[in-house]
Amino acid sequence: MQPLRRRLISSSRLYHSYDHPAPPAATFNQVETAILDASLPHIPTYGFTQTTLLRGARDAGYLDASTNIFPRGPFTLIHYHLVIQRLSLAKQSHILQRSNSNEQPLSIASKVKALTWARLMGNKDIVHRWQEALALMAQPTNVTTSVVELSSLADEIWFLSGDTSVDSSWYTKRASLSTIYASTEVFMTTDKSHGFEETRNFMDRRFSDAQNLGVALGSLNQWVGFTAHAGLNILRSKGIRL
Amino acid sequence: MATFRKSPFPASQWLIRDFLAPSLIPRTSRTIRCLSTTSNSAAAVSPTEPSYEPQRRIPSSGEEAATSSAPLKKSLTQAQRDFLTSALRVNQAGELAATLIYKAQTPVVVAAHPHLRPLMKHMYDQEVSHFSTFNALVAKHRVRPTAMYPVWTVMATALGWGTALMGREAAMACTEAVETEIGSHYNEQVRYLLEMVENMEREGQDIGDELKTLVETIRRTRDEELEHLDHAVENDAKDAVPHTALVEFIRAGCRGAIWVSERV
Ligand SMILES: [Fe+2]
Ligand SMILES: [Fe+2]
Repeated sequence: MQPLRRRLISSSRLYHSYDHPAPPAATFNQVETAILDASLPHIPTYGFTQTTLLRGARDAGYLDASTNIFPRGPFTLIHYHLVIQRLSLAKQSHILQRSNSNEQPLSIASKVKALTWARLMGNKDIVHRWQEALALMAQPTNVTTSVVELSSLADEIWFLSGDTSVDSSWYTKRASLSTIYASTEVFMTTDKSHGFEETRNFMDRRFSDAQNLGVALGSLNQWVGFTAHAGLNILRSKGIRL
Repeated sequence: MATFRKSPFPASQWLIRDFLAPSLIPRTSRTIRCLSTTSNSAAAVSPTEPSYEPQRRIPSSGEEAATSSAPLKKSLTQAQRDFLTSALRVNQAGELAATLIYKAQTPVVVAAHPHLRPLMKHMYDQEVSHFSTFNALVAKHRVRPTAMYPVWTVMATALGWGTALMGREAAMACTEAVETEIGSHYNEQVRYLLEMVENMEREGQDIGDELKTLVETIRRTRDEELEHLDHAVENDAKDAVPHTALVEFIRAGCRGAIWVSERV
């Protein structure tokens, strides 16, 4: 448990420098990146498998044996997919910079929703392969990386949307978005509707559920604060020096 | 403290001696709050993280992929990022606590000693400004806030309220204890950062405004904390009974809270 906790805490959410940015996708080295990049087009056909890695290695001009540099095999392919899909969200300028019809910039909540949808659509071409990917991600050796990636995705979406809250809601926001994303992603793998319409409805319902929950939690906080304050005032009115 | 402020050292040596004495260099920008905006400045900053496009052309070699996005300035090391992460997290937690302590103390202290109203307000306002400064930095640099946030909220309020009920001297002793710990903690951060900047300069690296401003912000905050410490002592913190036990108790509590906030 200790190494897992340490990794969860220390590997994610480190100081992000603008002047001295971290090297790009330090998770993968140059050769790995080249092979993985070349493997991506083969995923729709061969899935997240050793075959895809082999094809990618050949396309990138490496020997078949070079796939030995991936001790975790096909899971590395999944990890790579997760990373590049997450990082590509920053380029969704039509969401991040767009104004809607009234020339009003999108609200934080609408950006979160739009980015979540954009990320789900990043799975569009490989969705028929995603259940096998989910099974691999859930294996004990891979589950840490998968969970860290999921929480990084939630963090990325809130950050890009311009949310700056740094109190306890930082945690609840990321936790609820992770839950919404993960459940919608699973739903999507069984969705046969045109343009993933049903997935869209499913996601919208999850967001409004979360909103209602948020309102309930918010008013609970307010109520506790109000009651404590009122209680203090009553004691003061009784002449107690507080 | 007062003797340090009339320092004979020439200004050119501040870089080396800064950590020895809090306020060797008289600063003129005390009233300027360049960073204490609450606006969502982080939202305006477009992310600079380089990213891979899923559909981009396959690079013919690994080198091509690597050289196309070389950063202008050298990346921070893992240790430096670790340090900055826990520094921002612990500073935000500390300022949260300071804000709540003064907020809880003020009505009680001012009711008994109306002449302290301007001083309490002055110190509270400065804490609010520190708090929003570090809130903005934590958001901008994508640092996870402390998981103990609700716990510190309750404990700081209880501490402020409790010491205020024990009287003005105890309230001031609380300020003395807290500001001593926070002040020396900020001092350690300034020392580390100046060392880091010095090493980077020696290697011929471009420091960049981000780090320079950060050092300046922490140093200014530290000076204001030590000012609070002076105010506390001027207002008879030492007359609290039992002064030493109370101060030591609160200081130990602060050290524990700092230790925890740096990690969780
Ligand atoms: Fe402060
Ligand atoms: Fe202070």
